[in-house]
Amino acid sequence: MSHTTRRWFIAALLAGTPMVLMGVAALVVYAGIYDIAADEPHSQPVFWVMQMVRDRSIAAHATEAVPVDLSEPKRIASGAVQYEEMCSTCHLAPGMKRTEISWGLYPRAPELRRGSQLTPAEQFWVVKHGIKMTGMPSWGVTHDDELLWDIVAFLRKIPELTADEYQALVRSASKTHEEMMQEMEMRGGHDHGDHGQQ
Amino acid sequence: MHILIRVRVTIAFLVWLVFAGAPRDLAIAHEGHQMECKKTSMQAIKADIQAMNDGEAKRVAVKEMKMAEEMMDKNDMNACKTHLHNAMDAIDK
Repeated sequence: MSHTTRRWFIAALLAGTPMVLMGVAALVVYAGIYDIAADEPHSQPVFWVMQMVRDRSIAAHATEAVPVDLSEPKRIASGAVQYEEMCSTCHLAPGMKRTEISWGLYPRAPELRRGSQLTPAEQFWVVKHGIKMTGMPSWGVTHDDELLWDIVAFLRKIPELTADEYQALVRSASKTHEEMMQEMEMRGGHDHGDHGQQ
Repeated sequence: MHILIRVRVTIAFLVWLVFAGAPRDLAIAHEGHQMECKKTSMQAIKADIQAMNDGEAKRVAVKEMKMAEEMMDKNDMNACKTHLHNAMDAIDK
């Protein structure tokens, strides 16, 4: 092979390889080869990549400073009520058995009573914005920051709680979830988007 | 008259049996259903293991799952179930 031919070969290889790879990827997508069923776990490399994308995205976006005192008992109790209402079905709670939805979700909703490696700012960001394709909703659509920080305050506390302490904490809150939502609307927070409906 | 009362009492007892017994039986059946050695249960446990942090518990769970799969391939469902339980215990740790 002459020098010029070899150069052309390398140039064609460099230019052609990405096109071939993109073609193969397009074929795989179009043919529906990848199994997206929730009862078929990702292969380990795919799982690792998705986990890495999630973790890096949360770390890069969660830059907000913590503006409240997360150890305030009233805030923790308020967070417990909201957690019981909005989160426990998927993330479970101290003393709670696995629910049907927790068995079926993929990726699994982490059991938050086991603790979390996320910082408070990261937890707030996840609760507020949710995570695509995981079943985690963006609670910021319907809840204001004040209520979401209450949840974060509770999340810092949940690993220390027994089942009885958890129940006692939920009962100790001065308001129900519904009352909290009404109060939020009065102070000009978000609404549930049901205004104007018949 | 007595016969009518007896019939009513019997019907009431039967109705009570149906309503008092059914939910508990369903709950037990459901718990058992999760433990069965079948593909969907095995996949569910695998998804649980995948979500675990690296460590001793995960290592044990992975090992027990492999053994459960081997037993299932050999059609030894009792041994499979035992290893599946062990894997679940490791997950819960």
